Amino acid sequence: MLRRIANLGRLLAGLFVVLLVYLAGVQVIWGPRLADTAQNPRLAITAQQVQWGRILDRHLAVLTDSTTQDGRQVRRYAAGSSLAHLLGYRSARYGLSGLEARYDPELLGLPARDPWEALLEAAGRPPRGNDLVLTIDSAVQRAAVQVLDGARGAVVALDPRTGAVLALASAPGFDPASIDAAWSVLSRDPGAPLLDRATSGEYAPGSSFKPIVLAAALERGRVTQQTEVNCAASITVQGAVIRNFEHEQYGMMTVPQAFAVSCNVAFVQIGLATGADAILGAARSFGLGRAPRFDLPAASGHLPDSGTLGPRGLAQISFGQGSLLVTPLQMALVAGTIANRGVLMRPFVLSQVRTSDGRILESYAERGTQVVLPPAINAEIAQDMVEVVARGTGTAAQIPGVAVAGKTGTAENPDGPTHAWFIAFAPADHPTVAVAVVLEHAGVGGQAAAPAARRVLVAALAAQAAEAAHP
Amino acid sequence: MTAARLAGTLTLRARERGLLVGALALGALGLAAVHLALYPQDSWRPIVVGTVALAGFLVVHAALCASGHGADEVLLPVAAGLSAVGLVMVYRLRPDYLVRQAGWIALGLVALLVVLGTLRDLRWVRRYAYLFAVLGLMLLLATVLVGVERNGARQWLLLGGVAVEPGEVVKLLLVAFFAGVLTDARGLLTLPGPRRWRAEVGRLGPMLLCCVGALLLLVFQRDLGLAMLYYGIFIAMLYVATGRGDYVVLGLAAFLVGAAVCYHLFGHVRVRVDVWANPWASASTGGYQILQGLYGLATGGVVGTGLGAGHPDLMPAAYTDMIFPAIGEELGAAGTFCVVALYLLLIGRMFRIAARAPGAFESLIAAGLATALGLQAFIILGGSTRLIPLTGIPAPFLTYGGSAAVSNFVALGLLLGVSRRPPAAAEVRGAPAHR
Repeated sequence: MLRRIANLGRLLAGLFVVLLVYLAGVQVIWGPRLADTAQNPRLAITAQQVQWGRILDRHLAVLTDSTTQDGRQVRRYAAGSSLAHLLGYRSARYGLSGLEARYDPELLGLPARDPWEALLEAAGRPPRGNDLVLTIDSAVQRAAVQVLDGARGAVVALDPRTGAVLALASAPGFDPASIDAAWSVLSRDPGAPLLDRATSGEYAPGSSFKPIVLAAALERGRVTQQTEVNCAASITVQGAVIRNFEHEQYGMMTVPQAFAVSCNVAFVQIGLATGADAILGAARSFGLGRAPRFDLPAASGHLPDSGTLGPRGLAQISFGQGSLLVTPLQMALVAGTIANRGVLMRPFVLSQVRTSDGRILESYAERGTQVVLPPAINAEIAQDMVEVVARGTGTAAQIPGVAVAGKTGTAENPDGPTHAWFIAFAPADHPTVAVAVVLEHAGVGGQAAAPAARRVLVAALAAQAAEAAHP
Repeated sequence: MTAARLAGTLTLRARERGLLVGALALGALGLAAVHLALYPQDSWRPIVVGTVALAGFLVVHAALCASGHGADEVLLPVAAGLSAVGLVMVYRLRPDYLVRQAGWIALGLVALLVVLGTLRDLRWVRRYAYLFAVLGLMLLLATVLVGVERNGARQWLLLGGVAVEPGEVVKLLLVAFFAGVLTDARGLLTLPGPRRWRAEVGRLGPMLLCCVGALLLLVFQRDLGLAMLYYGIFIAMLYVATGRGDYVVLGLAAFLVGAAVCYHLFGHVRVRVDVWANPWASASTGGYQILQGLYGLATGGVVGTGLGAGHPDLMPAAYTDMIFPAIGEELGAAGTFCVVALYLLLIGRMFRIAARAPGAFESLIAAGLATALGLQAFIILGGSTRLIPLTGIPAPFLTYGGSAAVSNFVALGLLLGVSRRPPAAAEVRGAPAHR
């Protein structure tokens, strides 16, 4: 009986040991994640006790701050719905999104890392969150929102020298101030207004992918700027007939000329000569196929597996079709990398965290770099992109007195008319702004997206000139 | 009384005194911390009352010193520690109940003293085993017939204006009954052939009948936690007495079948299990309580928010069913681990007492009480943290409540009594009393 008593005791003790292990999991290992789920009512209680931090643009203009309504703190938005996807909403019922979600601890001042702030709170001042200063320029953002008016699509503009995002717009949008009332309509809208197309919209790149094909071909030495290719009306690859977009044929022309007129048939030949490994490798080094590290959740897009691509698949990705998918943020980074002498700057939108009385806690000028292309090859691609705007498919993006480099894209897709793409940077000799525009089902890139990109470029250059004059 | 023995008991009691003072200081400090954090304007009187009630443990200690028997020295301090934590949490969650809970602790300690003083010899209990069974079943039946419902599922008997939870008393009666019957029958139950079958019908029959009767009554009045507890005690004691693996396997199989039948038959059983399996599916209704408990535990993290700084009031029934997650929120894993450690200590000591008891009957009754307290603690601690489905029963010594306090302190008194060495055995402390 003694042994059996001991066994029974061990069994009961074992149950409590299981409980201990389980508690360690719930409280210590998964505790922080579980406690941070939006359904935990403690978060909202804590959040209401703190004066929420504000979000400011690069010139310290207020983008959002809070006010008291019926005894509760609510957000108000200086520019209405213009920055809805980027700033996000702050809802008691639906939780947080965008930067509100990403930087919630900072906005609530939760990591009490500032001893001075802690002292003031101890002295009785209501706790205040920290302010976020963004790299966003409200004037550029306004232009981006305007070109998307009534359309579906996205605009990303950034400073290629640093990776600082100047504008990030997605349409259709929503009003973050009335998210609770509008939620049921918004979440069921087929236009997906809650989706941030700029970071998470995945599209076929079409011909805006050609700079990458060209980079791979130049790097591998398969072509030079002087190589002549035949831009015939069509080419047959393993029984599949590939035609130029509007059935045009130019005959023999140099690679820059074929790039400027965006000749698919010529690029199929270049692509077949370069090979899938080289093209997809170049795409990967430009950051395609994986989610960029950014302040907001961003989609990865898709690159096919080079092993499964036959010659037909290779022919299709040579002009940006097939199973390729990219996001506007990724394409803005492609333009930015070429603008920045082949060096990819990690994109970012948070430039400073400040206390409510303006003392700087964190400050970022850039968040990391990565060399993508040798400068010589990069310069050739940049030159070819200038030709696109000067004499090719992108003339609608010309700005008087400023050399603009760009590439059009007209992406076929299974859902309807083509998506219009334009990626660009300016001024071409010392670029200070890079932009990517996609307009869903808007037709031809050079006609729909290039003028839109032009307006954003003009706004950004004007804003930068003003900033240089009055720093 | 030899000198060696005197020295032995003195060391025991001195150790007990040291541990008790620690437990009482914990309670007094906790009460003061809650008072300063939450009710600094209120009167200090309730705290004094609470501390005085806890000081009652010292009276029991004095009685043990006076009796001179070498009773176990850890049981009392562990119970004091759990009672202190429970009292602090009652003050934090329901300050209006502090004085009442202090009263329950005091009443429980009185009951403990009475048990220690009067039940020096437990052998008479054996003779009335069947009487206890009848009494227990009648209590449960009375609850079904004339009981009143308070706090949802739990059923109460109103005795002269005082609401009593008979389930807690029946727990002790069942242990006594099982111990009595099994002591007599255990020899017969391990025999081969027809004599065993006769014993099985004659002895196990009534136990089984009693058990099934109790379970049925409990399931109908929705007290699933108690049903689980009673059944667990039955199987555990059967195993300890007979060592028959087939009984245990049969018993567990019957439990699974019974649980499955109940799941399909009774809506309230189904709801409990479904809420346990996926509380998020009914986050604002059935799953709300358990989810708030989980969020509380998670928010507490390693060291907790601090007493009075969390929101355990978001948990429905925080001061009863959800006391453990409430501790987890404000005292963190540090607090919950300590509480579990206290229960582990309690279990270890109780089973040690059972193993060293002077006779088979005492061994069985001690093992039964140890199972009762340990399993009960696990059912509610595991239930309120979603390790197992939640069924509301009080955590021994921790949860607010009078009937539970009195029953558990009576059990503690019985265990302390069993742990007392008869003079001859205590001469050589630590030597096994029997094999």
